[in-house]
Amino acid sequence: MPALITLQDAAVGYHGKPLLSGVNFEVQEGDFLAVVGPNGGGKTTIVRTALGALPLLSGRRGGRRPLRIGYVPQRDHVDAIWPFRAGEVVLMGRVPLLGPIRRPGLGDREATRRAMARVRIEHLHDHAYGDLSGGQRQRTLIARALAADPELLVLDEPTNGMDPAAELATMDLLRELHAGGALSVVMVSHRLENVANYARTLAFVDKDQRLFRVGRLEEMLRPEALSALYGRHVAVRELEGRRLVYPTNGTGRRGVAP
Amino acid sequence: MNGFNEFVSAREIWQVPLTASILAGALLGALGVFVVLRRTVFVSAALTQLSTVGLVLALLVHERLRIESESTSSQLVVAIAFSVAGALVLGAFRSRRLPAEAAVGGVWVAASALVVLGVSRLLVHEAHDLGGMVFGNAVAVPLPDLVVIGGVALLCLVLHALFAKELAFVSFDPETALALGMNVSFWDGLLFLTIGLAIPVTARALGALPVFAFLTLPAGAALLARARFRSAFLVAAILGMVAAGGGYVLSWIWELPTGATMVALAGLLLLPGAMVKRG
Repeated sequence: MPALITLQDAAVGYHGKPLLSGVNFEVQEGDFLAVVGPNGGGKTTIVRTALGALPLLSGRRGGRRPLRIGYVPQRDHVDAIWPFRAGEVVLMGRVPLLGPIRRPGLGDREATRRAMARVRIEHLHDHAYGDLSGGQRQRTLIARALAADPELLVLDEPTNGMDPAAELATMDLLRELHAGGALSVVMVSHRLENVANYARTLAFVDKDQRLFRVGRLEEMLRPEALSALYGRHVAVRELEGRRLVYPTNGTGRRGVAP
Repeated sequence: MNGFNEFVSAREIWQVPLTASILAGALLGALGVFVVLRRTVFVSAALTQLSTVGLVLALLVHERLRIESESTSSQLVVAIAFSVAGALVLGAFRSRRLPAEAAVGGVWVAASALVVLGVSRLLVHEAHDLGGMVFGNAVAVPLPDLVVIGGVALLCLVLHALFAKELAFVSFDPETALALGMNVSFWDGLLFLTIGLAIPVTARALGALPVFAFLTLPAGAALLARARFRSAFLVAAILGMVAAGGGYVLSWIWELPTGATMVALAGLLLLPGAMVKRG
């Protein structure tokens, strides 16, 4: 089975200037990949390049074609001043499938209703998007991505700015969506503790350290891998079935490119 | 009632200009929904100045090189070319290295300076002609100008009806549209092409200030009144028609400047929406 998306020996960046070079990774069917690193570290650039939304500076981009993708941007990047109802926002997820001129039909509206039901916001269909809470907006954007019946769900910092309860609820929802097996997930986050209980694969990204390292969750949560990302000693403990990731006072090796 | 009776009896004089004003009000009002929601209201001011640069250039070419460019149609073509080029650069393909408002402000002030410099080199009577073209004269709009406004309005209506969902999606969330493989630059270009076409043809009839006002105030009033996205176009178009038509009639009856009366009425239309409570 071919990977859903791959980057081979890729250089990624903007305006011809590479932020990171030698990037290799692939997303297999059923995977849950979390791309972790500091703000401005190049996480989103790598993912958007892998999706084809940004040009590849060098290397190869591959994967399954055609591939149905659902994309969830950072919530703050979507201007809530637009007077859309939540249902209209979710219906937009069908636009790329329809192509120009064709109008959404009954099937598209049914897909919208199903997607909203999957994330439990059916009751918000006629509510103004701008009036929703942060968590409800996030669920609306996830429902929009699901409305395209995607094979791959890509989320950019989906829990940014949320309180702990809303953050936990969003991550549990993603686990639930992924657990069905038909949906692979790629999630960008600057907080490792946010994804350590959910992802199967981790990628550490920091352009300032020229760091890109990817591996299975268990191997990436080892102290030497964590030190490469954070430049200090980071401990991982389990408490009541949940992993906790936290820095300690010990010193660690500053990360170097793999 | 005397003024109103005089107005009615002068029907042959105002039929074409009033129709042009109402049509322009509807067109600009509807397009204004995108202009306001995309936070690009000052683009229209810059585009009006750019189309004026085109007009000045056309007149200078005629005057200095004795090349025929004084006819209404050739001036309009030059004004449209400048406006559309500006719309595509400022709206669709803007630089990521400069904040949008800096680019818009820069173009506006540079175009304004070019207009002043160009006018200073024109003969007096042609400079006077330019004033009519730039600031509009809704009291006397010739029939060909009405036909052009109607043609542009029809084109915009067709394009926006056919590609409504694409224009809405890429305007609302360009990042996601791009990630899903949509050609955001193309759809942005199409949207700003319609805006770039509408501005010079309506500015010739109404003037720069009413065009700027109609691209902003009716849409603002519709959004303040909590109109939903699709109905906002209809509400803004109707408000634009009311402000343009009502302003024209009132200016005739009360002997006021036409463009300024239209703008003042459009401003008053914001009040009902401003009083609507969020809920």
